[in-house]
Amino acid sequence: MFGIQPRDVSDDDFNPRRRRWSLWTTPPASMPTTSHTSTPRKGHANTYHMSVKFEDLCGFMVEGNVDDVNVLNEVRERIREQGRVWWALEASKGANWYLQPRISSNGGQGVISVTSLKLSVLTNTVTLRRLIRKGVPPALRPKVWLSVSGAAKKRSTVPETYYDELIRATEGKTTPATRQIDHDLPRTFPCHPWLNSEEGQASLRRVLVGYSFRDSEVGYCQGLNYVAALLLLVMKTEEDAFWMLAVLLENVLVSDCYTDTLSGCHVEQRVFKDLLAKKCPRIAAHLEAMGFDVSLVATEWFLCLFSKTLPSETTLRVWDVLFNEGAKVLFHVALAIFKMREDDLLRIQHIGDVIDVLQTTAHHLYEPDELLTFAFDKIGSMTTNTITKERKRHETVVMAELDQRTRRLGSLKMDA
Amino acid sequence: MAASAGSKIRNAKLVLLGDVGAGKSSLVLRFVKGQFVEFQESTIGAAFFSQTLAVNDETVKFEIWDTAGQERYHSLAPMYYRGAAAAIVVYDISNQASFTRAKKWVQELQAQGNQNTVVALAGNKADLLEAREVQIEEAKTYAQENGLFFMETSAKTATNVNDIFYEIAKRLLQGQAAQNPQAAGMVLSQRPNERVVSAASCCSS
Ligand SMILES: Nc1nc2c(ncn2[C@@H]2O[C@H](COP(=O)(O)OP(=O)(O)OP(=O)(O)O)[C@@H](O)[C@H]2O)c(=O)[nH]1
Ligand SMILES: [Mg+2]
Repeated sequence: MFGIQPRDVSDDDFNPRRRRWSLWTTPPASMPTTSHTSTPRKGHANTYHMSVKFEDLCGFMVEGNVDDVNVLNEVRERIREQGRVWWALEASKGANWYLQPRISSNGGQGVISVTSLKLSVLTNTVTLRRLIRKGVPPALRPKVWLSVSGAAKKRSTVPETYYDELIRATEGKTTPATRQIDHDLPRTFPCHPWLNSEEGQASLRRVLVGYSFRDSEVGYCQGLNYVAALLLLVMKTEEDAFWMLAVLLENVLVSDCYTDTLSGCHVEQRVFKDLLAKKCPRIAAHLEAMGFDVSLVATEWFLCLFSKTLPSETTLRVWDVLFNEGAKVLFHVALAIFKMREDDLLRIQHIGDVIDVLQTTAHHLYEPDELLTFAFDKIGSMTTNTITKERKRHETVVMAELDQRTRRLGSLKMDA
Repeated sequence: MAASAGSKIRNAKLVLLGDVGAGKSSLVLRFVKGQFVEFQESTIGAAFFSQTLAVNDETVKFEIWDTAGQERYHSLAPMYYRGAAAAIVVYDISNQASFTRAKKWVQELQAQGNQNTVVALAGNKADLLEAREVQIEEAKTYAQENGLFFMETSAKTATNVNDIFYEIAKRLLQGQAAQNPQAAGMVLSQRPNERVVSAASCCSS
């Protein structure tokens, strides 16, 4: 097995940043650095509730219980196994087999025409899709993400110096976006040592400021700081993170999620509500009767692409599928979080408890496969076509409402 | 803390509004957990917290929506302030623009919100005296003219943080006593005792 591995599947391979960014050290998650306040006693019941601080798979210092640490170690082991599967495929299909043209479910990028469709392409597309749902090994994420998302293609359409020139053009300039970015840099995942460092913040700044100059309509929207930060941790180079951010906002997600009124985000929320009613009718009816609007919690999920909600490796597993299959993945995952706790949610009578259940569930989803199994097997399929139609329908209403609201607020005279 | 048998628990939805970085999340964190962090993560959409406060023999359970301050999140705000029993509009005393923004929030609440919503104005970061841009008199006068109650607070030093929530709780209870809640648009909801006690005991630690 190990014989055919083209590279060493060691811890380092899955934490390649260690080599680039010396600031990061990665002790195994099995060694909680702090234990809780009272003296721990032997016995499972006690250790389970013991709160520990530990470093997760992406280097975030997080707090959880001992069970979370154990789950994380199992996940780490599974990532290794999954890595072996990928290396084996590289050995049999050739390195970079997944960079071949394929049938895209993501629309636009990398699509090949039906006439040139070969059986091998079809097989690869199916294989890759299945494989990606089981997780891309961390060491391969930069390459795989750039390819399947269409970011590599996007970059290939501009001169190689594009990013450097863009950054140079931003130097010394102050805009409302740069002011807000500067305000947010130290407030972006301060629990991650590298992001909390000067070097990390300077990198994040360049990516965000660069993007705000690329698309002045988006400029900078809070939330993108978390997305870009996580992209940096995965992609390892600023430029790759930048292109991932670009493809995400310009191709993967629906448009206008982050522009002035967040209209795209409003649309997605309404589509989500309809989907919940369709896929989890009992939960939807129960919450509706309580007067609970699911957008209260789901808005942040969609704007931060779960990066503030799920544990980091679980978020990245969601992103693996998001980049390969498109924005509908967010619906699958959001529905799954509700569906996983259906019985509890149906018993709850109070809004605050609904939020507690959802938040606690999401924060402790250290087992990505559990979530993804729910998201894809238990929720059932949704065609992109139907979702597109739903979006169109809601878009008209949302735009009219936002417009009306703007006018109403505009008519309130300011006594400045 | 479970409320003792016989005491009433009232749920009150409370929303924090205000400019980005004014310290909304910090005020909530101070009130709910007694903590302050130098770099509070920026809020996206909104964050939810709950905390109970005892006022005389009654208990108010606040359901707190801490909203995001960036201008473009404005379009999400109605979802959070709709039906709120109370609102705290926060500005940063070291930032004049945040005071202007606070006035806009007050205006919007007056125009769109519930008439009976108790609105408090919090001049936060009161510890930053040297950087003060908004004079206390100016804010006080504005608050009086608009029927708000006003306090300068500091999430950092904890000054007036519990006090502002306590004052809101008191006013909510007074308002509740003075009027028929149904007619008043139900600012406070009273629930069967045992359910609320269990809810309170799991959320307020
Ligand atoms: N000196 C001082 N700093 C404060 C105080 N309250 C908050 N801060 C700091 O101000 C910054 C912003 O605080 P937040 O609580 O995140 O502000 P916010 O209003 O929630 O901001 P958004 O979520 O982005 O809308 C943080 O770095 C806090 O540490 C205070 O009372 N005194
Ligand atoms: Mg905040």
